[in-house]
Amino acid sequence: MSNSPVQAPVNPGAPAAPEPGRDRTSRRSSDGRAGVPRSGTVRSLDARQLVAPLALAAILFVFTLLSDQFLRADNLAAVLNQSALLALAAVAMTLVVRAGGIDLSLGVAIDLSALAAAALIADGYYAWVAIAAGLGFGALVGLVNALLIVGLRIPPFLATLSVWFVGTSVQQLLTGGGAPIYLSGPRVPEEFAFLGGSGLVAGIPVAIAAALAVALLGWALLEATRFGRALTAAGEQPRAAAIAGRRVPALTVSAYVTASLLAAIAGVLLAARTNGFVPASGQLYVLDAIGAVFIGATLSRIGRPSVPGTLVGVLIFALLANGMNLIGLSFFWQGLGRGVALLLILLAGVVLARDGGGPLRRLLASARR
Amino acid sequence: MSAIAPERQATGADALGAPAPSRPARAAGWASYAGYGVVVLVLALFAVVSPVFTDPSNLASIINQAAVTAIAGMGLAVVIIVGGDDVVEGGIDLSVGATAAVAGSVTAVLTTAGLAPVLAILAALGTTLALGAVNGAAVGLGLRPLLATLATMGIATSLDLVISQNMKIALDGQPFTWLRDAGGLGVSGAVVVLVVVAGVLIWAFHRTRLGVNAYAVGQNPTAARVAGLNPGRYRFASYLVSSGLAGVAGILLASRLSAAVPGIGTQILLDIILVAYMSTVFSRRLVITIGGTLLAALFVTALSNGMTLSGIASQWVGAVKGALILAVLTVVVLRSKAGSR
Repeated sequence: MSNSPVQAPVNPGAPAAPEPGRDRTSRRSSDGRAGVPRSGTVRSLDARQLVAPLALAAILFVFTLLSDQFLRADNLAAVLNQSALLALAAVAMTLVVRAGGIDLSLGVAIDLSALAAAALIADGYYAWVAIAAGLGFGALVGLVNALLIVGLRIPPFLATLSVWFVGTSVQQLLTGGGAPIYLSGPRVPEEFAFLGGSGLVAGIPVAIAAALAVALLGWALLEATRFGRALTAAGEQPRAAAIAGRRVPALTVSAYVTASLLAAIAGVLLAARTNGFVPASGQLYVLDAIGAVFIGATLSRIGRPSVPGTLVGVLIFALLANGMNLIGLSFFWQGLGRGVALLLILLAGVVLARDGGGPLRRLLASARR
Repeated sequence: MSAIAPERQATGADALGAPAPSRPARAAGWASYAGYGVVVLVLALFAVVSPVFTDPSNLASIINQAAVTAIAGMGLAVVIIVGGDDVVEGGIDLSVGATAAVAGSVTAVLTTAGLAPVLAILAALGTTLALGAVNGAAVGLGLRPLLATLATMGIATSLDLVISQNMKIALDGQPFTWLRDAGGLGVSGAVVVLVVVAGVLIWAFHRTRLGVNAYAVGQNPTAARVAGLNPGRYRFASYLVSSGLAGVAGILLASRLSAAVPGIGTQILLDIILVAYMSTVFSRRLVITIGGTLLAALFVTALSNGMTLSGIASQWVGAVKGALILAVLTVVVLRSKAGSR
């Protein structure tokens, strides 16, 4: 994975361009701009770790002022419900980024699983068959990614980009040129409608419950298990991890397959929620998921993505979208708002990391020179 | 493979299809021509399957259509050359498609409002350069290009909607019809623009000191800095070039369609990325080249055209393009393994 074709490790001595997956955010400063490492207390809080929480607080504050609908329980519950699918996709993306890659084909996994589930329901199959088929299709996308990235050693960005191409084409072929599938209410099995929003698990809508469960599991998996540590090592220092006896290829495969499976869960929920399938609807989640992961990474002193951080990013996007809707901002302008917010948060994170300087990060930056 | 030495004479010659001068071969002899082989094979296949394919007017229309992807692709290639071709940390500009769309909308809206076409075009290019400056500044501050341009992509997509109000805006009138239609020499203005842009960029990147420096900055910023270059300045300029060329491409696209079509940015983005990365197949040292991008754009357009002429459903075109990227990358990876031994 670390071997993008053009900078294979032939000259380890030379100060080559940085590899992907190593300490992600400090790259620019690491090529020489970082100052002399200071001695300092390692525990002190890095200024940039406050950026994302402050942005979240600012969004809450501004929209509470601008709209009296905003800070109400039912509205916030709706925000959570709407952000559940993005949360699933973003947790999936967190896994992959943690493993040193990136997955642009998550949208394809969402779409294909939604397509499979909706098509089978439309054909009158049992709900569990449709759900299983949806998850299977999603996992298939992950397997293809893993094959390309681990088997053929194609860089993740390009491999998953091609899967995006192919997957979009496959959707069009399977839907006869991109015709949406609509499920008529009476024909939808109860279990499937249950997933779509009618059902409550312990008083919480199914989508939120699923997102919460996945987030908790993902968090525990990454931070508290041997697997999580190995995955992180494989992502950040693939060669060292390999030397230390970690099976880096197997770890990478597991990250991509798990991510696609999580995306597939989002896909099945999407099909249940929208009562059908609209081609390419899953692709809207990919870019937001990437944004959320990297906003979340600013919460970490070393720029490491984590599930809680990602959820903060998801909340930022969700609250921003909801707030902009409530104050009646035209849809046309909303992309601008989101783009500017994303850019400012990430920039603030980078600039504060460079100037304010977490001691640990500076140490890392200078050691690599 | 050692990508340290910037590719200079060889690429220019390779990309232009001239026989490579005798020089120590890096990759296996046959493999370095594999890219050309595939191109010739596919084109020959289409020529056999569809007699119309080799028709001069069809070939002219292929070149005309390729202009948009080629020009924007060459801009992206500049960013990747200067930023390094590592796809996660290196140079990438995801905003090119949306930027092109903005340029088309601005031109169409201003022309419709009665502004002189020249001024409309200048305003459009100014807008795209501003977007490029945002990219360049964000990257200069230390943000990863992937993320910085992801954000500007969202911003530009939204700008496109705001400017066009999500409606198709007709674009007609003199300079635009000249860009669209074949003139006296049988070539449209778009082809003239393409030839000029490609000529200048190929010369600048494969024949001059500037080009060598640009490759050096991309492949080893630390060494480049030690050698007295300013990588930050090169990077900033590369995003300006990329956005500016995306703007040119957007105006050409709007002229060709006789309208600015909202939301077209995402559609062309993937093609642009495809041709820029595909250029590595045409390079002996497996680096991104300007000439290779031009060739790749022509090839990809010819492929779509040929598939349409052969009666293959348009849904397959995307699948074939995806498979194509994968084939290209596999070849590159295999070759780089062979080369490093």
